[in-house]
Amino acid sequence: MKHHISFTINGQSMELTVLSHQTLLEVIRNDLRLTGAKHGCSTGECGACSVIMNGEVVNACMVLAPEVDGTDILTVEGLSDGEELHPLQKSFIDHHGVQCGYCAPGMLISAKALLSRTSRPHEEEIREALVGNLCRCGAYADIIKSIQVASRARR
Amino acid sequence: METRDLKPFHYIRPESLQEAGRYLASEEAVKLLGGGNTLLLQIRSGQESPDILLDVKHLPGFGDVRYHHNQGLKLGAAVNLQHLVVGLEIRRHYPLLHQTAQKLASPQVRNRATIGGTLAWASPISELAAAMLCYDAVCHTWSPRGHREIPLAEFYLGDYQTALARDEIITHVHLPPFPNRTYGIYHRQTVRHDGRRMIAGAAVLAYRKQQALTHWRIAVLGMDNRPKRIPDAEAVLEGTPGEAEIARALEIVQEQIHPADVDYARADYRRASLNALLKQAITEVIHHLQSIRS
Amino acid sequence: MVMRKTHIIGKPFPLVEAQKKLTGTSCYAGDEPFGPDLLHARILFSTRGHARFQLRHVDVARKQPGVVALITGADLQTRLGATIEDRMLLAVEEVHFAGQPLAVVAAESPEAASAALAAMEVVYEDMPGVYDIESALAANAPQVHPAMATYRGFDKLDAQPERNIAHRVSFRRGDVDAALAQAAFVVERTYTAAPLQHAPLETHGGVAQLQGQDELTMWMHVQAPFLQRQIIARALHMPPENLRIITHCVGGSFGSKVFVSVEGLLAAIAREAGGRPVRLHLTREEEFLAVFMTPAMRAQVTMGLDEAGRIVAFRGIYDWNVGASVDAFLREMQRIALAGTGPYAIPHAEVQVNAIYTHLLPAAPMRGLSVAQVHWAVEQLVDELAEEAGLSPLLLRQRNLVKGGDQLFPNFVMHANGLESCILETTRAIGWQPDQNREVTGTIARGKGMAMGWSPIIISPGCKSRATIQCDGENLCTVIVDGVDVGQGFYAFITQLIAFELNFPSEWITVLPTDTANYESDWQAIYNNLLWSTGKVLLQATAELKRQILSYVSELWEEPMTHLDLVDGDVISYATQRRLSVLKLLQEGTGDGPPPVFRATGVYEATAKHDGLDGLLQSFATTGFAAEVAVNLETGDLKVLQLAGAADVGHAINPEGVKAQLKGAIIQSTSQTLLEELRFKDGVPVTLDFMTYPIATTADMPQKIHPIVVEIPQSSGPYGARDLSNHALVGASAAIGNAIYRATGVRIRELPITAQRLYDALKQFHASRTRADAEENRGQ
Ligand SMILES: Cc1cc2nc3c(=O)[nH]c(=O)nc-3n(C[C@H](O)[C@H](O)[C@H](O)COP(=O)(O)OP(=O)(O)OC[C@H]3O[C@@H](n4cnc5c(N)ncnc54)[C@H](O)[C@@H]3O)c2cc1C
Ligand code: FES
Ligand code: FES
Repeated sequence: MKHHISFTINGQSMELTVLSHQTLLEVIRNDLRLTGAKHGCSTGECGACSVIMNGEVVNACMVLAPEVDGTDILTVEGLSDGEELHPLQKSFIDHHGVQCGYCAPGMLISAKALLSRTSRPHEEEIREALVGNLCRCGAYADIIKSIQVASRARR
Repeated sequence: METRDLKPFHYIRPESLQEAGRYLASEEAVKLLGGGNTLLLQIRSGQESPDILLDVKHLPGFGDVRYHHNQGLKLGAAVNLQHLVVGLEIRRHYPLLHQTAQKLASPQVRNRATIGGTLAWASPISELAAAMLCYDAVCHTWSPRGHREIPLAEFYLGDYQTALARDEIITHVHLPPFPNRTYGIYHRQTVRHDGRRMIAGAAVLAYRKQQALTHWRIAVLGMDNRPKRIPDAEAVLEGTPGEAEIARALEIVQEQIHPADVDYARADYRRASLNALLKQAITEVIHHLQSIRS
Repeated sequence: MVMRKTHIIGKPFPLVEAQKKLTGTSCYAGDEPFGPDLLHARILFSTRGHARFQLRHVDVARKQPGVVALITGADLQTRLGATIEDRMLLAVEEVHFAGQPLAVVAAESPEAASAALAAMEVVYEDMPGVYDIESALAANAPQVHPAMATYRGFDKLDAQPERNIAHRVSFRRGDVDAALAQAAFVVERTYTAAPLQHAPLETHGGVAQLQGQDELTMWMHVQAPFLQRQIIARALHMPPENLRIITHCVGGSFGSKVFVSVEGLLAAIAREAGGRPVRLHLTREEEFLAVFMTPAMRAQVTMGLDEAGRIVAFRGIYDWNVGASVDAFLREMQRIALAGTGPYAIPHAEVQVNAIYTHLLPAAPMRGLSVAQVHWAVEQLVDELAEEAGLSPLLLRQRNLVKGGDQLFPNFVMHANGLESCILETTRAIGWQPDQNREVTGTIARGKGMAMGWSPIIISPGCKSRATIQCDGENLCTVIVDGVDVGQGFYAFITQLIAFELNFPSEWITVLPTDTANYESDWQAIYNNLLWSTGKVLLQATAELKRQILSYVSELWEEPMTHLDLVDGDVISYATQRRLSVLKLLQEGTGDGPPPVFRATGVYEATAKHDGLDGLLQSFATTGFAAEVAVNLETGDLKVLQLAGAADVGHAINPEGVKAQLKGAIIQSTSQTLLEELRFKDGVPVTLDFMTYPIATTADMPQKIHPIVVEIPQSSGPYGARDLSNHALVGASAAIGNAIYRATGVRIRELPITAQRLYDALKQFHASRTRADAEENRGQ
């Protein structure tokens, strides 16, 4: 079954025809060719596909495309302001928040969602906010540090 | 390129219960869609192959949250679990619900998972169910035959079965008001510390009336084919429970549970784990309630 | 070479690829756009451990709508392997492990490909299988490879196919039996470690396309494209130069993307797809089912101590369950043998390493290269021995550790190393005390423990490294190497080295995606000595490049080259104070003729004998760990409160990068130690997702992590540096095991340390204590 959906993504309005059984992850990676969000499992376990939907972080592999109608989506591509990197991105670069980097877009998205709720999170709050994002390289310590430093640098 | 891994179905977003009812009455395989955290996995694994998914998240009133100190809490079926973490009325009046939700899964899952879908999931390790059982939650449902109220304690039939009819929808959940001096605690032991692979889980709640500790609630997870309360053990704790009563309550719990061997934990081990968690939770509840100044 | 701390080397330096990865700019293989022509491949995997099979309805499947090509073992009967070809590309008649490929299809859509697989029926006739070491070695056990003697490469192995022994490596010095007989204390134990899976977050896959007659290009995220080219080309009977593999960002490998797993099937099906690009991307379930496992270990270890507290004898028999293929594991066995005693100077020692064939999926080494598992055994054994002799585990270690100048192996004298600093600094970091390392509050017991580690850095026979640097006006400074950045900071290392040597701003330097078209095919440096060998060739290339640039300018200025130097991106003359911007030179030239292009290549080829399996022992990486744990005595629940890890990296070229690697290794070892276990039922993996194969989340990482960098320069390494990332987790699990013992008095000898294992051990310990107390009371 086809659906005509309209939504905003990274600040741009978008109209698209999608199928009932497509996922948000398929739409952004295949149809919109935004490949920042990654596929890691399809079971909601890894968070590599994380995006922000109406202000909240969700696993894009667990959202159906027609559900996206009327929503506001932010992917990692929408984090930076043109050429200017988001403070989180800068901090991940400066503090080794990336090893292989496959988890990084999802981590950034989770961090962004956290910082929009809690401007100066404690280490414990950051750990809790990241439990849905697996990093096989084990870069958690530096990811947490990157987020902490970025949150302190803001204002 | 992402591989499409869901088998085709029709996604429908009904505007009213009546419209949803018409689909439910049809011949087709219809499934209600909440946050999809369980359902999409079931479709991917082939366990479910619905023709129609009815997205119930936009039905009128399904997103409502209302609290009144005389009437208690009403949570619409489409309210997400993250609300239980951040909602002020929950933190203040139903802290056990807040505490449990905070430990449950991840922000990604909680932001999508709905109250209705989570209760209907009926897993023996459903953490939301444990807290809800302690608060005497009642499921309110609708079907083409009308409205029903099902106390959660009667809702779980075991082996992932619920008291819901095939065409019945949870509309909201109701929790009665609780006095201020209520205290609850949820402890769990899981293989991975984010909650994955549950060995045992226990929620305990009581309130203090003058010097007596009363209205004891004990809910256990992973100990049977459904989340369940142990009323016989609760009864033993009424009043001012001491060492002997706690020991007796724990004994009764052990008599009334039937944990299964799972590949990561044997039944005897799950019993021992539950016993330790429960003892700790009961002791902490007593301690906390007795420390409140009268 | 002297050790120099300069403005770049030895200073923080972020990853070069980081920005791309953080902005979502495409660089992983699955991100490449290939347009509407793209076909989708899927593989049919066996679901039985050992069985005869028939594949039915293949013709029906071929005629399914959208199917472009379909190959089965009947169409393409060929074997696969780097050293020993002990695998089939596609099974024929018999499957040897669950997850073995039976057919591969390319179709217009993923759905069409799946439908084609579903149209086929596999009829199995089960055969008796062997799934663990004991049953594989039992008399009259079914033979996994009865025809092994006919496989290419068989002559290089020390195998006994009739006993399911795939290969053996051993060494011996002194007289172990005599020394054990005289020792004052002897401890003999068996330790085991479960099979693991690498589980990179990015699953295996890539895109392949036939170009021209028989020229195949593959865009794949693999760790060793040159090695893969060699293996795939040979299996498909094509000249290696006709196969081109391009690798950019790799979403984690940990050893799983070195040897060929499903990549050969992608190549095979792309050759049948009429020139259209074909994409393969494994699902997580397929990744768990069909890609390599790391072998399970059984270690029988014995250690003897004399009255003076000197370890006098060691015997270790390490058996590894390598599944149905030993090929990817072969080169680790020498490493295991050399590391097998632990980092101690033991006069009488014997180590035997056996690879055992079973009907499980093929084994490949993982980060830590199985030396991590060896230390799980040895480093707990040392604590057991210390306990037995009433010595402090720290003292025992200090007294016996291997020192610079010790000659333990023929032709190898141990170099100065950081073992002692590693163990002292890590124990200090967690506040380890000689006697008070246990604390009990309520039901929670806390304890502290330590372990050391060493891991040989071996240059594989015939192993090559190459690097080419080109300076031109358009791209400034581009670098081609044969190694791959899998997240270990390899590209950052390259950039730093070149920026330092040529005195260029690092922004000028771009490391290009690794492309096999650049060099001829051969064995390449992979994990254990990548930095060492690439550093070597980069130094050659930069020296030559500098010579070229200076000689060009010396002609221009008519000044002797010895007066000239490269400083901050300029050529300067010390004699005349003249200055010329290299950027300007490259972009504008000198007026007459086109601007110059400079290009230099460095090549290193191991001199070790080419045909054997033994490589050249070059040095040892050394490590130390100290852990503090909290154990719930009633439930067995375990938390790692602190884990300190130290590694001697020779010279930290990128100190923050080194610490990042160490922290990563600490977290990954915690995960392996506490959570991970690949489980099978009748040889079929049942841990097929992140739920049943849990890996550590932020909730499981140690609460405090102390990364400690120790720098004892290695004379032969670039700037004295030594490879790290693969060795950085050697010893961590034993430190946790030793801490548990301190906390609780129970010794866990099986990996992973699950809560149930701990609970069982605690219960048993308690029961035996109660019994002992009762007997004592009776006695009185
Ligand atoms: C990665 C992951 C981690 C998890 N971790 C935990 C954990 O730590 N602890 C825990 O307790 N749980 C955990 N869960 C389970 C999770 O809580 C449930 O999957 C989720 O809450 C179900 O809610 P949903 O809204 O997503 O339901 P859905 O998947 O949408 O639906 C579940 C079932 O309910 C039915 N349904 C939906 N809405 C209604 C309604 N209004 N009336 C009647 N029936 C309805 C559906 O038809 C379906 O059968 C985890 C799940 C995932 C994917
Ligand atoms: S791909 Fe969505 S959670 Fe893993
Ligand atoms: S950096 Fe590799 S998965 Fe996180």
